[in-house]
Amino acid sequence: MPDIQIPSIDLGVSLQLLIIFGGAMVLLLADLFSGEGNKRIVGYIALLFVVGAAAAGVPYWDAPRSTFNGMLVLDNFALTLNWIFLLSTAITILISLEYLPRQGIERGEYYALLLFALGGMMLLAQGTDLIVLFLGLELLSITLYVLAGFAYPRLSSEEAAMKYLLIGAFAAGFLVFGIALLYGATGTSSLAGIANKLGSGLAADDVAFMLAGAALVIIGFGYKISMAPFHMWTPDVYEGSPTPVAAFMSVGTKGAGFAALARLLLVALGSQYATWGLILAILAAVTMVIGNVSAVAQTNVKRMLAYSSIGHAGYILMGVLSAGSPAAANRGIEGFLFYLLAYSLTNLGAFAVLIALEQRGEAAWSLDDFAGLWHRQPFLAIAMALCMFSLAGVPPTAGFWGKFYVFTAAWEAGLQWLAVVGVITSAIAAFFYLRIIVQMFMRDPVREISPSLDRNLMIGVGLAALGVIVFGISPTPVIDLVQGSVLALSR
Amino acid sequence: MSFLDIIILIVKALVLALAATTLFAYFTLFERILLARFQHRVGPNRAGYIPLPGGRKLLGGFLQPVADAVKLFFKEDVTPALADKWVYLISPAFATIPALIIWATIPLGCWPVGGDGALPVGGCAPVGGSNFLQLAEISVGILYLLAVTSIGVYGIAIAGWSSNNKYSMLGGVRASAQVISYELALGLAVLGVVMQAESFSTAEIVNRQWGWWFIIPQFLGFIIFLLASTAEVVRAPFDLVEAEQELVGGYNTEFGSMKFALFFMSEYIKLVAMNAIAVTLFLGGWHFPGLYTLAQFVSANAGQWAGNAVFGLLSLGAFLLKVTLLSFLSVWIRATVPRVRYDQLMHLGWKVLLPMALFNVALTAVLNVLIPDNRVLSGVIALVVGALVIVGVAAVNGPRKPPASQVTLVKKSAEVVQ
Amino acid sequence: MNILIMVIFVVLAAFTLAAGVMVVTVKNIIHAALWLIASFFSVAAMYLLMEAEFIAIVQVLVYVGAISILVLFAIMLTRHVTGEGVRQLYKRWWIALIVAAALFGVLIVPTVFNYEWAVQPSGAQISIASTVEIGTAFMREYLLPFEVASVLLLVALIGAIVIAFEERSTRRRVLTLAEEVEQRRQRNESLRLAPTTHASETSE
Repeated sequence: MPDIQIPSIDLGVSLQLLIIFGGAMVLLLADLFSGEGNKRIVGYIALLFVVGAAAAGVPYWDAPRSTFNGMLVLDNFALTLNWIFLLSTAITILISLEYLPRQGIERGEYYALLLFALGGMMLLAQGTDLIVLFLGLELLSITLYVLAGFAYPRLSSEEAAMKYLLIGAFAAGFLVFGIALLYGATGTSSLAGIANKLGSGLAADDVAFMLAGAALVIIGFGYKISMAPFHMWTPDVYEGSPTPVAAFMSVGTKGAGFAALARLLLVALGSQYATWGLILAILAAVTMVIGNVSAVAQTNVKRMLAYSSIGHAGYILMGVLSAGSPAAANRGIEGFLFYLLAYSLTNLGAFAVLIALEQRGEAAWSLDDFAGLWHRQPFLAIAMALCMFSLAGVPPTAGFWGKFYVFTAAWEAGLQWLAVVGVITSAIAAFFYLRIIVQMFMRDPVREISPSLDRNLMIGVGLAALGVIVFGISPTPVIDLVQGSVLALSR
Repeated sequence: MSFLDIIILIVKALVLALAATTLFAYFTLFERILLARFQHRVGPNRAGYIPLPGGRKLLGGFLQPVADAVKLFFKEDVTPALADKWVYLISPAFATIPALIIWATIPLGCWPVGGDGALPVGGCAPVGGSNFLQLAEISVGILYLLAVTSIGVYGIAIAGWSSNNKYSMLGGVRASAQVISYELALGLAVLGVVMQAESFSTAEIVNRQWGWWFIIPQFLGFIIFLLASTAEVVRAPFDLVEAEQELVGGYNTEFGSMKFALFFMSEYIKLVAMNAIAVTLFLGGWHFPGLYTLAQFVSANAGQWAGNAVFGLLSLGAFLLKVTLLSFLSVWIRATVPRVRYDQLMHLGWKVLLPMALFNVALTAVLNVLIPDNRVLSGVIALVVGALVIVGVAAVNGPRKPPASQVTLVKKSAEVVQ
Repeated sequence: MNILIMVIFVVLAAFTLAAGVMVVTVKNIIHAALWLIASFFSVAAMYLLMEAEFIAIVQVLVYVGAISILVLFAIMLTRHVTGEGVRQLYKRWWIALIVAAALFGVLIVPTVFNYEWAVQPSGAQISIASTVEIGTAFMREYLLPFEVASVLLLVALIGAIVIAFEERSTRRRVLTLAEEVEQRRQRNESLRLAPTTHASETSE
């Protein structure tokens, strides 16, 4: 029996992951010992771990390193993404704390599952091997299948979970097939290895299979980030899922999917930009148009947000694909990260306001329910207005800078037409975002709804809204952060 | 591999299958006589005996299995009108085949042939040769055994479904649930042995038990294996699949004649096979104290071939003796332990055996790492810890007196009645 | 011997394909499951033919012994006893056929034209048959995927429990006849009293 030499492992690289996974397991135990009907304590412990993991990343800034045979890295790019994910999860936990008991679906496993999903997202940000990326994606997906169906007796929730599961399994099939082809063509599953192989020149056959594999992998990720034409599931799943879960999905899955896609496209397939650049640009344009035009017709605000999240996937994709072009390599990544942060904060804030309006057993997602919100809950109305302005990309908000960044990136990358499409669709989008603001401030209440605004939700909404406006007024710290993150990726 | 080798292999396989079926026939007799003794009855004593002078009868009933077989052959073979014909037809085969092929990788004894032909010390793997008493030696023999036991449930499941009868169906569903539940504990118990022997091969596992049967270091695993294997072959007290009081006859209600006989046969062969696996894994397989010395003595005096033959036959005998002892234990359990309730069954499988098996794996791993060289010390520690765990678990989960309040309630109600 | 192996391979391959076709075409869902098991088996036999004993046994152990039995189990618990009434082919089945054929073609065309997959690093002979090597690889090269896979399985386990577990208070159970009659009576009454409200909604 040969002795097994376990390779030396730099635990620092996986420190954040270890905290999150360990925390999730602690939460399972905490759930066991916390009393019935008092699961909030589990949520607070989860928050503690999230904050701890965020703090644990600080010493690793500007000290990129990798471990596990180069399967896991912690560069500034991954670290920034991890922080964005941790922030999103923290806000999600905050807005869930009171929502779950109010809906009668409070169970301690919720927070543990959230942390496991977070771990999957972080793996997607840090993984540099196709196998790790696949496992991270599955970890995230399986958790979300369960979370989508968490409001168990509600049929719409079960429907959401079912749809998401079927589509997700389908997407995973494409992804694995694509990975197999990539591996078959290049003989390695490591992203850097694939890049090396491509750099040293492949036979024409190999290139063909590599491209087929890459296409299938992009399709697989395309489902996750709800890129057109793989976006069909999004509205139904977001509408049926419990609202905090929908919020988490809209920022989490997207962010993580984009993170992995960016690393795959830029590190492994960077030399093939000429091939995938235009295709993805067209898809991004289609995504923006479909998402924003469909959102105009919605009267259900939750569905409207779902469609708008499809549109935003197009904008983020614009940033990612611009980074492939040498002319805009840095700006594209910066735009992607900035946009992701702004979008995460904004969308979480908007969903949090929906949560405040949602009563037990009665969904208040119609446009009419927002009428006159200003008179009843000025705080919520202002927060919602800020989020809507940010989603629309109106100047003193973070959303504006995000859009500005990705549009300029696309322009520099030589995709002027794409930037124009982005501007036009933003103008279309402004219509339905502003419609909500008009409803809130200029109409009288249509029916009596008493929004329930507790302390935790207020913190969540406040945090998101504050981020939106502060980063909008002075974006310098974030710009510094994302500019620092770029260097590591451009090898 | 020459043509002749293939012929020999086929003949060996046929002999093994026939031996297994004969074993089944006589196991039923063995069980019926023992059950009768346990219940102060006489048991089968009519069919076939050797008359002795003075009116005494020797070996009463030794032809009983033959009589049973003849009876089953001549029963009418009915197929229910609404049954799913094809599935109904193949389900007995599905049940029987795994029960027969399970024997392929079990080393039944040690008869070295080929190669240098010498009797090796501490094992049965002559250089370049093979063991005549093992049909197939594959590197993952243990996994093969687990795989074959796990597919055995298909026969039951599809038999229950194809009969188109609610009782049969319930029996089939119960069987699937039960087998899936206990497979985990079974697999983990086997894993302990694999870690101890550092090999998946059955031959290697037996070789490793030279003078040190794994029942000592794997005592906990042995107990778990015994319980889980009993449940895996749906044998009393875990025979809920055919609980007469609840399910008429269980999954085989609609089967008659030879089809029923095949199910009956597969159950018993599986039981004996499970005992044979237990012997292989925990009780030293064909090892027996003094056997090797005897064989050496014979081969020194009467030639190597004779020594090998004596060793082969005696080791086969030792193996069968151990299997018989375990089979006696199975019958004993059946005669004394009442059938468990369904929730008790699930409780035992998931909440008792599975954690115990996991603990056993952890214990084995820790001892292997901490005390890699001294097998006596680590074995004794494992034995003591295992015994303590079993006693502790039994104390926590065992039968207990009804709470005092309940007793008084009963008494009170009795008073009221009076 | 080579001829013999070739013959066995062709027979197995034909059987696998035939079983696969049966899975997607037979009407009875239990039959479909049984055909699926048959195809799993013949795939395992093909592994054996390639002397990959470990993978063959694991194929049987996992796919036949565990997954398929769960499939059967689920069907038996949820479907009508006969398992009839499933239409397998829908109107536009040919679209699915084209997609599946295209995906399969990506693999089969290069194989037919002797394309050399770059799966083996030059010079290194990788044996997948030995359990020792697989175990060592899990502890060395693939340590991270191995660990992450364990987390993945844990999550799947927890998720399954979360989905399947019902609190005692909300557990749906089969009503006794008396309860059902009582419920129906109440429903009729409430219908009579307020024809617009639906009292039949039991959830929440």
